[in-house]
Amino acid sequence: MSTKLSRVCGVCGIVGITCIGLILVGCSGNRTEESSQPKVAYITNGIASFWNYAERGAKDAAEEFDVNVNVQMPGTNAVEDQKRMCQDLLAQGIDGMAISPVDPDNQGDLLAEIAQRTRLITHDSDAPESDRLCYIGMNNYTAGRMCGQLVKEAMPEGGSVMIFVGRLGQANSRLRRQGMIDELMDREPDENRYDEPSAGEIKGEKYTILDTRTDGFDFGKAKAQAQDAVAKYDDLGCMVGLFVYNPPFILDAVREADKLGKIKIVAFDEDEKSLQGIKDKEIYGTVVQNPYKYGYESVRVLAGLARGDNSVIPENKILYIPARQIRNDNVDEFRAELDRLSSEASADTDNPPDAKNDASTEKSVTES
Amino acid sequence: MKKNLGILGILLVVFVATAIGNSNFLTAYNMFNLLERASLYGIIGIGVAFVIITGGIDLSIGSLIGLVATLLPFLVLDLSLPLAVGLIAIFALSLCVGLTHGVLITRLKLQPFVVTLCGLMIYRGIARWVVSDKTMGYGNEVFSGLKVLVGNMSQLPGMSGVSWAKHVPVAFLILLVLGVISSVFLNKTIYGRYLLALGRNEQAARFSGINTSLMIVLAYVICSLISGFGGLLFALDYGSIQPDSFGNFYELYAIAAAVLGGCSLRGGEGSIVGIILGAALMRLLMNSISMLGIDDQLEPAVIGIVILLGVIVDELVKRFAARRRAIKQAREVGA
Repeated sequence: MSTKLSRVCGVCGIVGITCIGLILVGCSGNRTEESSQPKVAYITNGIASFWNYAERGAKDAAEEFDVNVNVQMPGTNAVEDQKRMCQDLLAQGIDGMAISPVDPDNQGDLLAEIAQRTRLITHDSDAPESDRLCYIGMNNYTAGRMCGQLVKEAMPEGGSVMIFVGRLGQANSRLRRQGMIDELMDREPDENRYDEPSAGEIKGEKYTILDTRTDGFDFGKAKAQAQDAVAKYDDLGCMVGLFVYNPPFILDAVREADKLGKIKIVAFDEDEKSLQGIKDKEIYGTVVQNPYKYGYESVRVLAGLARGDNSVIPENKILYIPARQIRNDNVDEFRAELDRLSSEASADTDNPPDAKNDASTEKSVTES
Repeated sequence: MKKNLGILGILLVVFVATAIGNSNFLTAYNMFNLLERASLYGIIGIGVAFVIITGGIDLSIGSLIGLVATLLPFLVLDLSLPLAVGLIAIFALSLCVGLTHGVLITRLKLQPFVVTLCGLMIYRGIARWVVSDKTMGYGNEVFSGLKVLVGNMSQLPGMSGVSWAKHVPVAFLILLVLGVISSVFLNKTIYGRYLLALGRNEQAARFSGINTSLMIVLAYVICSLISGFGGLLFALDYGSIQPDSFGNFYELYAIAAAVLGGCSLRGGEGSIVGIILGAALMRLLMNSISMLGIDDQLEPAVIGIVILLGVIVDELVKRFAARRRAIKQAREVGA
């Protein structure tokens, strides 16, 4: 009896442990084959639909420039996840890495570690103090001012404004917010200015910034904060969502409170719900980046560097991808452009999509 | 050690499978990173084990880590207090947190789950409020001395000439020291035996003259102190602290490591070696997933499956051992 039982348990144990080995090796089956292609990595600062476009761009560029790209998106513990992901990738041996640092000021050690072991470029959020070879992205301060212009257009008579953003730790969101505030306060451009969110209301001649709420990429919290703001302020004039997922939650909250039209909404980025809101005139407008080009250009530059072509880096080490304002009058055109990108991503790779050519040609324009 | 054979087996299988799958896995750089991560999580795993052994739970670890990590730069940089004062303050805070948990659980007879769940929310809220959600950093020169704790052993006094020292993280040394002290405390001192005894049957332990309330308070104090210390190490390692998310879910990683390592959530069982192996397995799995190129999105699922299989195998082995013991006893009686 005991022999039979021991056999059953032994077999169960061996099967269990073997399963673990098989799961690990099985899942990795198609990846471990060695390739002569340069290996590059593209690290985002979170998980969002915005980054899906960037991933598409990165993968398209990888095919076009014959490199192997590994796209990784950190979760809510973004600083920790970024560190782990970067170190694991460095351990595997890669030829270049593009990262959107969550907190460039305090991630100096990690950026130095990456720069020491491979070619480092930043995208979306810059770390000028680091040894990065190049920054690819928009000027967030300018984009913030463009967002402020939309608020002015939506509410020309002035009024109160609430800002919603995922995090303020990263440079891109800080600059974006500051640009918007400076535009509404009619201040001279100064990228080093910073109004602490804890300092309370910021009053200008026509506009008042009531508060800035952060949600740390927690979508439940993002929605609750939008709802709470609508409930708290009777005379709220405009709500601005600075990260891609904020405007749809703001729209939901305003719609639920039956205050569409009374509370103006200004968005950032190109969530489909935000674009539909602009089409339906529920959202005044949005400032869009071009995440596809962030991904595409990052991989193009890394591919060039990996093959020893340093000419891919602009002289000033910054490759600006300009932001655009989307309103009701040009939203259809912009959506068509996005649809084209989506369909092209799955199209035959023998026919490189127009967007790639756009990205390449725009380089000369944006380098200045 | 016998009861940790299951987890050790899984650890070895995953280790070998990853080494075969990617030759870069065994590089000194990757081994250092892996050892450091396993050590940091192992440290907080040891902390929570003290509470789990008494049959309790501490869900507030992650938030306490977030609070400690946020407060130190706030006190030292924003309030310009000396570093020593900041350190004393965060350890005093950790001690008070543990004391409060213990007193609420033993005196007011509140459930540990509820007390520490409230703690989870309270500490997170305070951390965010104190600094208005501002990101705190450890890049300042003031902290450069402390960063030795998350560096390599060659940075320790008298170790600069030792060749292997630069390949071993200081956090691993801390884990070893803490592990030995905890193991001796649990297994060789009367107070450790009290903790295990009250975890098995609190009433019986009380009737046998053990001051169970005091011992439970002690367990929560140890847990919070170790968590606070762990929080400091994590903060020094990552450098950037987002008050709203830093330390999120760390309590679950710590509890999972403790349970994987043989702690029973019903109390009364647990070994320090097992907890260290449990923490190491979790970090190894994350590293393996990356090294083997398994889709990032699958990471939680793979870890969940492996832990589940580990626990199933462990349970089957235990049942087998119990069954064999019973049969042996029956034979002896029959004879």
